[in-house]
Amino acid sequence: MEDHILEVKHLKKSFYDSKKGREIQVLKDISFNMKCGDVLSIIGPSGSGKSTLLRCITQLETMDGGEVRVCNKNMVVPGSNPIRYAPKADLAEIRLSTGLVFQNFNLFPHLTVLQNVTLAPIRVLKLEPHSARIRAMRLLKRMGLESKARAYPCELSGGQQQRVSIARALAMNPKVLFFDEPTSALDPELTGEILKVIKSLAEEEMTMVIVTHEMAFARDVANQVLFMDDGVVVEKGTPEYVFGQSQNERLQSFLSRFSQNG
Amino acid sequence: MISDLQNLLPILAQGFGTTLAIFGLTLLFSIPLGLLVAVLKMSKYKVIRYPVAFYISVMRGTPLLLQIVAIYFGSYYLSQSAGADFSFDRFPAVIVAFSVNYAAYFAEIFRGGIESIPKGQYEAATMLGLSKSQTFFRIILPQVLKRVVPASANEVITLVKDTSLAQVIAVTELFALAKKQQAVYASIFPLFVAGIFYYVANLILSVFFSYLERKLNYYR
Ligand SMILES: Nc1ncnc2c1ncn2[C@@H]1O[C@H](COP(=O)(O)OP(=O)(O)OP(=O)(O)O)[C@@H](O)[C@H]1O
Ligand SMILES: [Mg+2]
Repeated sequence: MEDHILEVKHLKKSFYDSKKGREIQVLKDISFNMKCGDVLSIIGPSGSGKSTLLRCITQLETMDGGEVRVCNKNMVVPGSNPIRYAPKADLAEIRLSTGLVFQNFNLFPHLTVLQNVTLAPIRVLKLEPHSARIRAMRLLKRMGLESKARAYPCELSGGQQQRVSIARALAMNPKVLFFDEPTSALDPELTGEILKVIKSLAEEEMTMVIVTHEMAFARDVANQVLFMDDGVVVEKGTPEYVFGQSQNERLQSFLSRFSQNG
Repeated sequence: MISDLQNLLPILAQGFGTTLAIFGLTLLFSIPLGLLVAVLKMSKYKVIRYPVAFYISVMRGTPLLLQIVAIYFGSYYLSQSAGADFSFDRFPAVIVAFSVNYAAYFAEIFRGGIESIPKGQYEAATMLGLSKSQTFFRIILPQVLKRVVPASANEVITLVKDTSLAQVIAVTELFALAKKQQAVYASIFPLFVAGIFYYVANLILSVFFSYLERKLNYYR
């Protein structure tokens, strides 16, 4: 039981909808666990709460209820109601064990590729600039981007920018790496290079959570698939189960919509 | 004419020195103050935000001329009625008035710049564990600087011309001295020369700012 690297229990989140003038519950009751080296893909229709789920776990949003544990550290005081978050120092520690790759990269445009990757290791992890650069170059080499180290993000293609942002996240040595639609902002011919990188990370047992609309990829790369609809986990299981055996109606209709759209 | 110019130039150059002093000191104080005011105006606390908004609207809604007079004479009357004996000298009064006035304009420019930085930049910085101040000074501010250069250049060029308002409390800057010489020579020639001083100063500034803009164009 204790070897879970990420535990999410009964996570709930509401947003105030100013048009409707009331709270809308976006995440109703989300629970799942991940072990070290697991790769979880999260699929589901637009608006089902996938991004919100990642943003709650990565502390970019606050949740309203439930529990999250990362590497056996509690993000909220267990059993607190209304929920109380853990002390700042714990939250900072949890944050450092999570990394997030954004849909639109969010690279720092005024810094070179190398500076993007070394900034946080130097300023936050307090690495020597020299060793931070060596590590960054190793990561960039993995991404096939050593020759771009001195370039600025605007000089790169979308696929290259996304690979830099993956290197930037990896430079912090996260225990769990989250991806929110890492290929959605890319031209179709550039998605392959990102998927390849994520696959190679999976082979190295990097624990990852990937929100994606690429069904084939979700099936190939993951050892667990979670299908969300309307703020709840509808189906959860191995790729074989979710994409093959499950008879769930909502899942079926979601997947059939996908195969129609290509 | 040539000998007129020989007499005139040292006098006007002296006035231009005062003009430059007003210009330089105002920038020195108003830019950091403007940055501070911009940050305060975005505070989540109304007790901070509202007074700051009021200060900005007064500075922008009343003539600088009036503000100079108010600070010079106002400080005197106020301290008299409080039983103290304080008043600004002319030159410091001008610097204070210009600085608080220009800070308000710079604040609005800086605030616009800060608010134009996408939320994703903050989120990426947060995810990497950067502190609030690291995020502001290493991620946000450098990008803001690039965005505010064109608008700030306009303010700086206006400031060169606005320095002539200092004469309202008899500070002998370039324009005040030129006007005096106009009476001496009974000719508008001194004013013409003063005009050249202002014009050349602004020409240099605009060359500098377009250089700066080009320099900052290494990224988009
Ligand atoms: N900051 C917010 N304020 C109010 N409502 C929000 C906010 N963020 C998300 N929502 C709402 O929450 C719901 C879920 O959004 P979310 O972005 O998590 O969906 P998603 O599954 O990631 O969708 P997509 O596949 O389109 O990215 C949506 O109805 C959205 O409008
Ligand atoms: Mg989303």
